[in-house]
Amino acid sequence: MADAFDDWFASSLGPPERLPDRRFVSAVQAHIALDEQLALEDRALIARLVSQLAALVAVAAALWLVGRAAPVAERLAESPSIGMLILLAAFGFVVVVFSTGGRSPDAAIGMD
Amino acid sequence: MEENEQDLALSRRAASGDQAAFSMLVEKYERPLRSFLARAVGPDSADDIAQDAFLKAWRAAGQYDGRARYSTWLTRIAWRCGLDRLRSERTAQAPEEPESASPAALEVDDMLARLTDGERAALVLCDGHGWTHAEAAELLSLPLGTVKSTIARAKAKCRKMWEGADHG
Repeated sequence: MADAFDDWFASSLGPPERLPDRRFVSAVQAHIALDEQLALEDRALIARLVSQLAALVAVAAALWLVGRAAPVAERLAESPSIGMLILLAAFGFVVVVFSTGGRSPDAAIGMD
Repeated sequence: MEENEQDLALSRRAASGDQAAFSMLVEKYERPLRSFLARAVGPDSADDIAQDAFLKAWRAAGQYDGRARYSTWLTRIAWRCGLDRLRSERTAQAPEEPESASPAALEVDDMLARLTDGERAALVLCDGHGWTHAEAAELLSLPLGTVKSTIARAKAKCRKMWEGADHG
């Protein structure tokens, strides 16, 4: 049987009677919006990294195929320095492409 | 439409990115959740934990399947966040013994501070928020019998403190 303690205890532990707290709801909404924005940026970063990796693999595969072609292989065997120069140029090209990333061409050359 | 079905529908809309639907769930459950956390974890960190819990519920909205009440599912998320907070606070600072309050000043928070985390959570949910013992057992990952005896023991402790404070 409920006594004075039970009544007092249940009323003390229960949630207060009040309307929804709009400020708290807004704070949660803002928190979620920020979380969504960060998730979007993360996804964009990962997509860019994947595309850059794919580009790197494609350039490496192209160089390897070209290097295997008989006339080119003979030429490279005669003068390895030309091969090294081509590799360095390709590497430089890849570095420039990756460093400009998703930025506009103007941004890449410091125009904006 | 049953409450569970309404909440499931809102949660599914939230899972597909509908923030307005999720805000309706936040409006509906922030009051009991914050009240529970204020009692079970402490009023200072209750709102932070509630925000974390709602954010986690938003991210995991697709996982709510409507079998349990939405409040049970949400409170389970919040309770895990609360336990993490309690553990980190206890490792950051030396454990604090509750002051021996004068009997007249003994309020419900003082009583709850003298209980274990599990006792406090089970007592607040079952005696204050109308949860069944089975729901509390699920939340605390304890057998039903253990929860029943935990609540009885905790309540007996509180009754003793209350009677000792010249109420009896």
